[in-house]
Amino acid sequence: MSDAQFVKVRYKLTEKVAQAGGMTAGMASERAGRELKAQREEAHHALGTMLGGLEAMNRERSAQPTDVYDAATQMVDIAGLFDMKSFCDAAYSLSELTDRLRNHGRQDWASIGVHINALRLIWTRDEDGSAEVKAMVDGLWALTDRALEKPPSA
Amino acid sequence: MALDPRIRINLERSAILVVDDNPKALEVQTSMLRGFGVRRQLKCGSAAEAQHYVVSQELDLIIIDSAMPDMDGYDFVRWLRREAPEDRRYTPVLILTGHAARGMVEKSRDCGANFVITRPFTPEILLQRIFWVAKDERQVVVADSYVGPDRRFQNIGAPLGQKGRRKDDLSTHVGAATDPNMDQMDIDMLLKPQRASL
Repeated sequence: MSDAQFVKVRYKLTEKVAQAGGMTAGMASERAGRELKAQREEAHHALGTMLGGLEAMNRERSAQPTDVYDAATQMVDIAGLFDMKSFCDAAYSLSELTDRLRNHGRQDWASIGVHINALRLIWTRDEDGSAEVKAMVDGLWALTDRALEKPPSA
Repeated sequence: MALDPRIRINLERSAILVVDDNPKALEVQTSMLRGFGVRRQLKCGSAAEAQHYVVSQELDLIIIDSAMPDMDGYDFVRWLRREAPEDRRYTPVLILTGHAARGMVEKSRDCGANFVITRPFTPEILLQRIFWVAKDERQVVVADSYVGPDRRFQNIGAPLGQKGRRKDDLSTHVGAATDPNMDQMDIDMLLKPQRASL
């Protein structure tokens, strides 16, 4: 094994960020927040469409865990940009569940169905942080943590 | 540690490439950057297109999604750090992750990105990480198994009782003195206030 080399790098970004002009971090965050707000409704609608796709998968029960995983992670990717914590956490739990299932060559539509129903409920209420929603998301994680303890099912 | 909202940041002249295969996520990320005042944004939906931009454009920062078909964000950074044109190799990279799949944890640690941002995140977090990159003074490590910013943010030497792996690691063993001890008068002279002539 050869020795590691250490290279001193000076990023161009460092110089540009420090140039005169620009704006305060507070102002930049506020402006970005306004840009996000303008896109939130459209994103919420897109998440609803993605959920519809997952509901169809759950009805037909023919999809592979990887398909459900991909759909769930796409929802994390969108919801995560809007700081929709509960929705994101629930979609993350579904991602974790399907990641574990696929790694063990298993499928568990009952647990997946519970996640999809919960996601639909959070999406419909469009609220974040209430005690009920938090308890529901905690329940989803408990389900995910126990998913591999159950005997394999169709 | 939160970014001080009074700090001034100028991103007007920075060229930032945003890469995400999800068009909606790409749109949202670029709108955040627009809010930060970034005027020169390049965006694309695949790592292959991003490779083309790296070769043809001067970039100050790359923001890339971790999970993408064909070549994911981690493989892109590995390519960038090892195979991109030499003057572009150390372009700073922020990786955005959603779910951290089991098989990806090591890949994420070893890819060589400057920072990894986990969703959900707010504009404040993204701005803070951009600021961290601009202030990042870590050296780049070039080794067989890793090329990227030093993953140790502090160099506090090798673990107790172990020989350091770096050339400049100091030994934790304090050996016998090589010079004679200073006498008390020398020490007093060092500490004594003296008139300075300017």
